[in-house]
Amino acid sequence: MDSQPVADAVLARARSGDASALEALYRAFETPVYNLARRICRTTEDAEDVMQETFFEVCRSIHRYRGDGSLWGWVRSITASKALMRLRRNKYRDTDELFEDFAPAKKDDTALRMDLEAALERLSETSRAVVWLHDVEGYTHEEIGSMMGKTPSFSKSQLARAHARLRRWLGEEVPA
Amino acid sequence: MIHCTLDQLIELRDGGSEPGLAEARAHLSQCDACSAELDRLHQRVARLRALPTLRPARNHWTAVAAQRRHEQLERRLRRGAWATLAAAASVSGVLVVGPMLQPEPPDGGLTAAAIAEAQQRSAQLEQAIDVFDPAARPIDGQTARVAQGLEDRIAELDQRIQVVELAPARNAADTERLDLWQQRVGLMDALMDVHLTSASDVGL
Repeated sequence: MDSQPVADAVLARARSGDASALEALYRAFETPVYNLARRICRTTEDAEDVMQETFFEVCRSIHRYRGDGSLWGWVRSITASKALMRLRRNKYRDTDELFEDFAPAKKDDTALRMDLEAALERLSETSRAVVWLHDVEGYTHEEIGSMMGKTPSFSKSQLARAHARLRRWLGEEVPA
Repeated sequence: MIHCTLDQLIELRDGGSEPGLAEARAHLSQCDACSAELDRLHQRVARLRALPTLRPARNHWTAVAAQRRHEQLERRLRRGAWATLAAAASVSGVLVVGPMLQPEPPDGGLTAAAIAEAQQRSAQLEQAIDVFDPAARPIDGQTARVAQGLEDRIAELDQRIQVVELAPARNAADTERLDLWQQRVGLMDALMDVHLTSASDVGL
């Protein structure tokens, strides 16, 4: 996590709607919020929109943050929820997985040896979101299922399929 | 020999304790291929976590702050418009509908009085909620959703009230007006209850 600590006094001022304190919150969390949004969303434009929606929501709802979890945890859950909402809106884009499932196997697929960044980018939006939320952010399958409006099993199977693909694309598959 | 599936390896990595996993765990302890696969899984995740942090190319605070100011202004305008509408409704009720209602049977007068009473009660509740200032108080997610639902219904109702109040043949719709105003009082009452209950729950 790449956020700066937020002083209690700043948080108290932000809760009362103080614009400079709200801006301080933005400065403290802009990078991790953008990073999470960008890892889930396909394009930088979508990630920027999610980031803006997230901070708008933070400004509106900061008085509701009770301090019973970390402030980053709260901001992160807003970001994840906004990013997943955007994925649902962009569902029509999520056709690469169909292509992946039904296209004939490429002759030299294991020799692709993409770098991890490219392989992650190639995953479907849903699979990538599950991988990132579970393996990097540490959300449980129950939490991911709930955020996506799906079951924990859906999250588990997406994660396994995503790893199977990453393994192949990264050339890590061991011949049986 | 049946090797562990990727699903099983992920479950084992996550410390799963499902019944079928005991067998997979036992296999893993004796199988070099599966242990190597689990290692690769660990390494892949470690590399994912080590990917560089992506940073926004530009500053978005100005846009967020502008959107926030816009929403605050809209809220103020909505409150102002609402107060104007309520005042207009009561004044025009006296100036226009009042004389027209003179020859009406007694129940028409009762309806007008009931409308005035509902409008007054609605304004009182509106004022009480403003004084209570729920936006400045912490509430839980469930309460926020209920309050938001009520506010949405009040907003919808306000649009219908506006249509009826501004209609030229307004006296013909008195029963509908009364019904709408009474619905508004009910919703405002419920909204106030939600906020008061939430405040007492958190000890405010």
